[in-house]
Amino acid sequence: MEITETKQNSVVVLALSGRLDGLTSGTLERKVTDCAAAGTNKIVFDCTKLVYVSSAGLRVFLTSAKKMKAAGGGAAFAALTPAVNEVFELSGFTGVLTVRATEAEAITALG
Amino acid sequence: MSAKHQVLTLRNDVTELTRLVEFVDAFCDPLQFSEPDKLALHLSLEEAVTNVILHGYQTPGPHNFTVSLSLDGDERLTAVVTDDAPAYDPLARPAVDLTLPLEQREIGGLGIHLVKKMMDVAKYERREDRNILTLERKIRRTP
Repeated sequence: MEITETKQNSVVVLALSGRLDGLTSGTLERKVTDCAAAGTNKIVFDCTKLVYVSSAGLRVFLTSAKKMKAAGGGAAFAALTPAVNEVFELSGFTGVLTVRATEAEAITALG
Repeated sequence: MSAKHQVLTLRNDVTELTRLVEFVDAFCDPLQFSEPDKLALHLSLEEAVTNVILHGYQTPGPHNFTVSLSLDGDERLTAVVTDDAPAYDPLARPAVDLTLPLEQREIGGLGIHLVKKMMDVAKYERREDRNILTLERKIRRTP
């Protein structure tokens, strides 16, 4: 998995590419921890090129969303691929996480 | 050995997930599995294999276990994970409550929840000092 970080005002956008699984979820977890340590409380996960997520990846998504919310901000998820969308649906994540069709909409959703 | 029946032996090390991914792709691609079927298989086996690697063995040292895949003439895919760790039924976890709000959502059990959702059959047996997890799914091939 590759992570590309960009910033739009106060929102950090992490574009994820490849597979978010038991082998790669630790890398994303460290990245989010670093962002939080640097004062970030709004993160958009751009999933345009994320082809796979397992429960190890869902765990990082869930803890990230909780962490950002607890810091007074939030997390949003943009442009889910069909595979990632199916896993979100089956996990009930679409109901509890902020999911938008595009990165721009996800940024707007975080206010 | 027929392409419709393959067995992979794995060590109890999380880096083995790479070999699992390659094994699943090598099985599915020549048989032209659809993307949803491949996703279901990749996800279910990652969860099952990770469980064995991280939680299965109580004694140190490398342990080997197997993953087998087979496709019968009726397009029924069967995946079997067999290990000789102490008895443990991964399917016995309580169901995940999907209705809880973000703050109360727990990640525990979500992997097995996904396995049960994506597979038509998921069953556990303890036989001859082995844990045997059998997963089945009717598949559709891409034309």
